[in-house]
Amino acid sequence: MSTTPFDHYARGHHDHDHAHDHDHDDHQQPNPANEHDNGPPGEYEIMSRAMQELLEAKGIISAEQVRKRMELFDEEFPYRGAQVVARAWVDAAFKTRLIADGRAACAEMGALLEAERLIAVENTPDVHNIIVCTLCSCYPRALLGMPPTWYKSRNYRSRVVFEPRAVLREFGTELPDNVTVRVHDSNADMRYLVVPMRPAGTEGWSEEKLAGLISRDMLVGVTVPRVPV
Amino acid sequence: MKTIPSDIGGEPAGPVDTIDHGMKHWERQANAFRSVVQMHGITRTDELRRAAEELGSRYKDMHYFEITTSAMRAVLLEKGLFTEQELAAKMAEIRARFDVPDEMDSPIKKAASK
Repeated sequence: MSTTPFDHYARGHHDHDHAHDHDHDDHQQPNPANEHDNGPPGEYEIMSRAMQELLEAKGIISAEQVRKRMELFDEEFPYRGAQVVARAWVDAAFKTRLIADGRAACAEMGALLEAERLIAVENTPDVHNIIVCTLCSCYPRALLGMPPTWYKSRNYRSRVVFEPRAVLREFGTELPDNVTVRVHDSNADMRYLVVPMRPAGTEGWSEEKLAGLISRDMLVGVTVPRVPV
Repeated sequence: MKTIPSDIGGEPAGPVDTIDHGMKHWERQANAFRSVVQMHGITRTDELRRAAEELGSRYKDMHYFEITTSAMRAVLLEKGLFTEQELAAKMAEIRARFDVPDEMDSPIKKAASK
């Protein structure tokens, strides 16, 4: 490990887990979209790094806090939403509390949320819920991790509010015509979590096994859980 | 009438790319940094969004984390956490740090040439 404040050779470590067959001649291109993140740093990377180091030097934040936060985003946050919903599926009283006050219910499970309010919206045979943030990317990060690329995309944000069924079809989700689709637009102080319907065929499953059935996309509402056949 | 560049809900747009392309390392740093700054109560989400909206016509041509980083810069400058001069000097210092004298010694280059 380097002892310099920032070991740039460590950059992109997580991006190299996948196979790639092109060469690395693109190193010298100052391209902010450089997929592999291992050439010369772009202007915004330097800017972000500089701001962090300035606040560290002033004793306002520490590098350790930022590193810890990256770990939580990678290793813990992405799994909490599934745990919360699995609990709601097995514990009706918990589900009632989750719907009544999402933030307090999540706190029971040790998940402290960033925003003021969490509104858990329950799918039923008659109603399907989807979440979006049309203005930016508000998202229950402490429950789902970082929003996927498409959640932040112009196309999703623009269209899901007026043609949700078409967008759902792009995710491979087809809902019966009689189901009402509700789209919830998040903001800085108010985040949503979709509570999908527990699929038939999961009777007697443990909370842990149920959590394994639940993906991020289901909790945003673009897909629905199914028991693998 | 359109007043802010981020107000795109309801506009016609193309198909959704449903693949999650993940995040680059620097984006993970930028995200974690923003999260820590927010936890300390230095900035608020709505302040950062307002600063992003003030990018105006530049907004639509910028990548997500370029927007959030620009917004963070604007709000931290407004709040006097550092000055333009301090930031420029620190950015120059970091740029110089990347100017590796013999890049063939870089582990990345070595790995790539295998």
